[in-house]
Amino acid sequence: MKDTVIETKNLLKEYRGRAAVKNLNLNITKGEIYGFLGPNGAGKTTTIRMLLGLIKPTSGSIEIFGKELRANRMQILRKVGSLVESPSYYGHLSAWDNLEAIRRILGVPKVRIAEVLEIVSLTGEETRPVKGFSLGMKQRLGIAAALLGSPELLILDEPTNGLDPSGIQEIRSLIKRLPGEQGITVLVSSHLLSEIEQMAGTVGIIREGQMVYQDTIAHLQQQAAGHLRLALSEPETALMTAVRRGCGGELQEGRLVLPRMSDARVSLLVKELVEEGHAIYRVEEHRQSLEEFFLQVVGGGEL
Amino acid sequence: MMWRALSADWLKIRGKGIWFLAFLGPLGLIAMQGLNFGLRYDYLRGQYREDLWGGLLSEVVPFVPIALYLGGTLICSLIANVEHQTSAWKQLLALPVSRTAVFMAKLLLCLLLLIVSCLLLSAGTVVLGLLLGFGAQPIPLADVLRIGFAAYAAAMPVIALQLWLSLSSRNQTLPVSVGLTLSLVSPFGVYFTEWMPLSWPVLAWSDPRPWLFSGAGLLLGLLVILPGAIHFARKDVD
Repeated sequence: MKDTVIETKNLLKEYRGRAAVKNLNLNITKGEIYGFLGPNGAGKTTTIRMLLGLIKPTSGSIEIFGKELRANRMQILRKVGSLVESPSYYGHLSAWDNLEAIRRILGVPKVRIAEVLEIVSLTGEETRPVKGFSLGMKQRLGIAAALLGSPELLILDEPTNGLDPSGIQEIRSLIKRLPGEQGITVLVSSHLLSEIEQMAGTVGIIREGQMVYQDTIAHLQQQAAGHLRLALSEPETALMTAVRRGCGGELQEGRLVLPRMSDARVSLLVKELVEEGHAIYRVEEHRQSLEEFFLQVVGGGEL
Repeated sequence: MMWRALSADWLKIRGKGIWFLAFLGPLGLIAMQGLNFGLRYDYLRGQYREDLWGGLLSEVVPFVPIALYLGGTLICSLIANVEHQTSAWKQLLALPVSRTAVFMAKLLLCLLLLIVSCLLLSAGTVVLGLLLGFGAQPIPLADVLRIGFAAYAAAMPVIALQLWLSLSSRNQTLPVSVGLTLSLVSPFGVYFTEWMPLSWPVLAWSDPRPWLFSGAGLLLGLLVILPGAIHFARKDVD
């Protein structure tokens, strides 16, 4: 039996009668990187704010570390580090003082400040006022703040939003290191599939407040099925053959396009077409990219 | 836990001009009286020759309630703005600290800053009196302390209200406008009724029963803090 870190049941949040999140069932296992994926405005941030107790769900339950959030908020938050949307910082204070202000509330030893600055490679910049930092540095400071209390669960909302490619790369490798080195469970949200694909082991896709997919990345890649394209001499009659064999299919740009099927069926169909006298020029498998699949999922298509 | 939050707040207000404001208020009042007495020294000295200290205090005191209201409004707004500015609430309130503790820490910080202002006002008045050569007469220490603190206690409802308003919304236009309006209306409060809390800081000095108004201010202040703290503890953080 796996340890569940976050479990939500039928989570609902309504704003003036409009559901921002509905029937959301999240399931996050200890030690994994969980990618929370969805277009802007799908309800990712709303969900994350509910997980942190910043906003109250209209109905439904949230359990973190096996405990009900509302009743055990303080105990749970002690083991959670978070970074929500745009970085929060006190611009007039130095990076060190920003972390010190948080440290005073957490009550952790002062050495942690130097440690987390080292982890996010901000050592040497700690005395400068944060308002002069680049967005990437502010975001890294936010991650440092999230790590300050040595959390067991890290919740990062769009940590790479607005960063340049090297900044994204840096944050990504930082996040990937965490579960291995410190045994931390990470929930990371993004609207970019490529981001999640490179970091996460499990992915949850949310659309219009509802979870439409929740499984491993590997399974997602399998699901993103491709199709078969045949270039041949007489596509119209070939299509009739294919339909007769129950393969379905359609004509696109003079080519026969068939849905994905098993190797055995492909060879049978090809054999039959050859026997009917078709000249077959090409048999191509066109794999749908994960990105296309994702767009199909969030665009309202069925799985 | 509130002390932890307070100690963090103590650090956060550094370099925001909040301390400057807390010093500016009382020192400004004293400087104004320095000018007043400097320009009309012989006239005022003659006027108050029976009780020079009492005379000085009576010249300072009319400005104290309005200064407290204004100062309280601005300090509350500035303290709230430290968190509003870069939407640091979502970071602060996701920490293992109760919302009530956060609210009380902000209130306490605001009250401490105003205490510093009141102490400075009392100390400044003594220094000014001594500079003006009133040292021959005994310093009425109780009254010197009372000019600031009696009004301070009586101003508590407005300070609590201002903190609540300032913490509630990111937009500080409403709380500051309300605070400014209250400050400007407050001098006329005495013409209405003594039941109007706005006039209590004035009455806490001038009324024959001054303690009544300081006490009422503290009590009503507590009553305003309660819904403020509850609202803050329950609201959604965006």
